[in-house]
Amino acid sequence: MRLSIYRYNPESDAAPRMQDYDIALGGHDKKLLDVLMRIRETDDSLSFRRSCREGVCGSDAMNINGRNGLACITAVSDLKEPVVLRPLPGFPVIRDLIVDMTQFFTHYNSIKPYLINDQIPPERERLQSPEQRERLNGLYECILCACCSAFCPSYWWNPSKFVGPAGLLQAYRFITDSRDTATRERLAYLDDVYRLYRCRTIMNCTEVCPKGLSPSHAIEQIRVALLRESS
Amino acid sequence: MPAPPRAAPKFLNLAQIRFPIGAIASIGHRISGVLLLISLPFLVLALERSLRSEADYAALGTWLNSPWRALLLVVMVWAATHHLLAGVRHMLMDIGIGSRLAQARMSAWSTIVAALLIALLAAMRWLS
Repeated sequence: MRLSIYRYNPESDAAPRMQDYDIALGGHDKKLLDVLMRIRETDDSLSFRRSCREGVCGSDAMNINGRNGLACITAVSDLKEPVVLRPLPGFPVIRDLIVDMTQFFTHYNSIKPYLINDQIPPERERLQSPEQRERLNGLYECILCACCSAFCPSYWWNPSKFVGPAGLLQAYRFITDSRDTATRERLAYLDDVYRLYRCRTIMNCTEVCPKGLSPSHAIEQIRVALLRESS
Repeated sequence: MPAPPRAAPKFLNLAQIRFPIGAIASIGHRISGVLLLISLPFLVLALERSLRSEADYAALGTWLNSPWRALLLVVMVWAATHHLLAGVRHMLMDIGIGSRLAQARMSAWSTIVAALLIALLAAMRWLS
């Protein structure tokens, strides 16, 4: 298999470059991550993140043939050669395919990604009806891989101001949670021309989410909630 | 003195990113908007000239009767049509109509194809 991979070592490279690899695949090399691991057998200088190797941890997000995705769940048989791998677009590159996600997680932290409830805790647990629990489906599954935010033009041009699709999906996960009592504060924080309204409904986020989630739908729901709040 | 730390590079070459159809409709919306904004003073001027007299109207028609100027008009027809359709699509999606991925893909394709078809009709009318 032929690959062309973005290489950058801050200690030795003045600028990023592309490096070509020709790799003989083994019988068990079914996913792109298997191929990357195969490359590392001969070139251990190639750097990328990976952990669970099954689409759960979100570590190996990268730009694969022009689209963001997870290397571990991308089938080799679906890829057109040469397979061009680059780091997530718009994120500062630390080395090769490893990007700096500090800004991304700053936005994630800003939406207070935890349950806020100022009522006295019940003796056992805070119960939900099946309908209330159903509302969390399609939201709680986010693995924070950043494929969506790194494919969003609004996030590319305003990375410090726009919360981005991942952060907004997580925000809506708590806004719609029946057990959370900080809905009004959460909405007030997001009611901002950049934080929320920088979204232009391009839907690149939903196109590339490796978990099949729809951040654009969550953003739409936040806007509706804000509209209801103001009327 | 140590060299100042280098800014980390970013990969953001738009020509190397494979954009979904919704993104292409969106960038078309922007480009057509810029074209409309730039051309608006000239279109208003042309309208004002054409309304002066029958002779001025005819003179404007003659002036436009060149392939290059007609081509410019075709581009403007594309810009106006694409901007209008993409704008309506955008507003409908804002209120939750057609905002699911499959529907959004379909409406993006429809916007792009319809604007090109109408521009093609204008080209057949003015460039033939």
